[in-house]
Amino acid sequence: MTSTLDKLRAILRRDLLTAIRHRSGFIVTLVGVFTELAAFYFLSRAIGPGFRPDGVEYFPFLLVGTGIYTFFVMTAQAFLTAVQEAQQTGTLEVLMTTSTAPAELVILSSISAFAGNLLNLLVYLVAGVAVFRAPVHANLFSCLAVLILSLAIALALGIAAATLQVAFQKGSALLWLLGSGLWFLSGTMFPIQSLPRPLELLAHAVPITYAIDGMRRALIEGQSIAAIAPTLGVLAGFGVVLLPLALAGLSLSLRRARQDGTLSFY
Amino acid sequence: MDRIVFESVGKIFRHRPALFNWLGRERRGETTALKDVSFSAASGEVLVLLGPNGSGKTTALKLISTMLLPDAGMVRVGGFDARRNAGDVRRQVGIAIATERSFFPRLSAGENLDFFAALDEVPRRERAERIKEVLRDTGLEEQADTLVMKFSSGMYQRLGIARALVKRPSVLLLDEPTRSLDAASTAHFWATIRGLARQETTVLLATHNFAEAAAVADRLLLLHRGELLADRSLNDGENADALRSFYFGLTGEIDEASRSRVCNE
Repeated sequence: MTSTLDKLRAILRRDLLTAIRHRSGFIVTLVGVFTELAAFYFLSRAIGPGFRPDGVEYFPFLLVGTGIYTFFVMTAQAFLTAVQEAQQTGTLEVLMTTSTAPAELVILSSISAFAGNLLNLLVYLVAGVAVFRAPVHANLFSCLAVLILSLAIALALGIAAATLQVAFQKGSALLWLLGSGLWFLSGTMFPIQSLPRPLELLAHAVPITYAIDGMRRALIEGQSIAAIAPTLGVLAGFGVVLLPLALAGLSLSLRRARQDGTLSFY
Repeated sequence: MDRIVFESVGKIFRHRPALFNWLGRERRGETTALKDVSFSAASGEVLVLLGPNGSGKTTALKLISTMLLPDAGMVRVGGFDARRNAGDVRRQVGIAIATERSFFPRLSAGENLDFFAALDEVPRRERAERIKEVLRDTGLEEQADTLVMKFSSGMYQRLGIARALVKRPSVLLLDEPTRSLDAASTAHFWATIRGLARQETTVLLATHNFAEAAAVADRLLLLHRGELLADRSLNDGENADALRSFYFGLTGEIDEASRSRVCNE
């Protein structure tokens, strides 16, 4: 346990030092957040108050949808970038020879990636509420429940991207899928009920759809845990299935890469 | 007891061209990196893998470190099978490979070593002292707080060695360790290696440089195109001379007589 905490501390310290030594990184991220929020704010004003998807104002609907969706994409991106950089520099091979098991290393690294992306999500939501006056009636327990269950799914997606990168050097394919297909299927900018029936059914098979829906109901409408229990159940189900699958896939791809000598291929 | 055992080990790299290979000319087929290679190394022994480029030296080191898995045979370190007990093997092995930039560029030398030492489960209270010690041994003491993105090739190489040493491994694997070092650093490095061997560390070093091999080895393994051609102790001067002639013969510089003499022994 002490050793695991020590490893986590080392990984967090590495990522924090790397982040703060990219001097302009924080400022660029902050400017990006405000630009995006401003664009959505004015878009919702242009559309007018008559458009109330799922019975809520359009700006908070967008705020939660894009915030959660970006969190998923950025988490997958963080895993992928970490593996790609480690392959390019040769760090991946060296990391695989340390006393830390690969699965432990991935999970500890993910905590660091989550911490950064959670902070981004928090800044995004707080800025949306405080600066752009998005009306919210947050139920913090419900928000926390959705967030925790969403973390498991984001972790699975990140590990899947890392697996594709190690196995086929094509982790970006999953990011492409997240950035195109899943973007409009997950109800990020409009309710999935607006989609044609076959696509709406497909949208119900996308875990991000439930994370966004759950967070909207918890943050904007202030619904209780009991009220959003079915959504939480589906999120938990996705997590229970996807996470072990992703871990098994990563373990298999690392073993195959060690057999084929392709650990550092990119 | 032997610390490292290589038993009839074979390793083949298969080349699988991408789809639409008719658009380009990517090679298909396979390369035999190691063919039925067997050897062992005892505690405190300095064993040198000598061979020209492509002879399988680095592959052998990567197999011992569990970076690669064998296709045939068995690799054991400290009694543990590298395939089945990879974790136990990794706890004993430190490796410095030839990849120069396998560090986090925006961390200093000391911070990089601290990171890898944590993953290698070096106790936190001992870490600062050990890092100081290995930085001193590799001549990087003054660069402890320099970001490694500012390092030269030689400094990267020394830092790679420092990283391998910081966990105080019982098996130390070194791939072309003095490739970018100057003469003074090289001499200091050999002294460090001999000191480690006296403390019962098993050192396995890969090089294509015969002079380097002769300077530090207790025993020398000659590899060529994945085959082990000779396994000789260098304590006997006659052995060293014959091996030297044979090795230069392999690299195209000497007669066939030496080759047959060594192979027939």
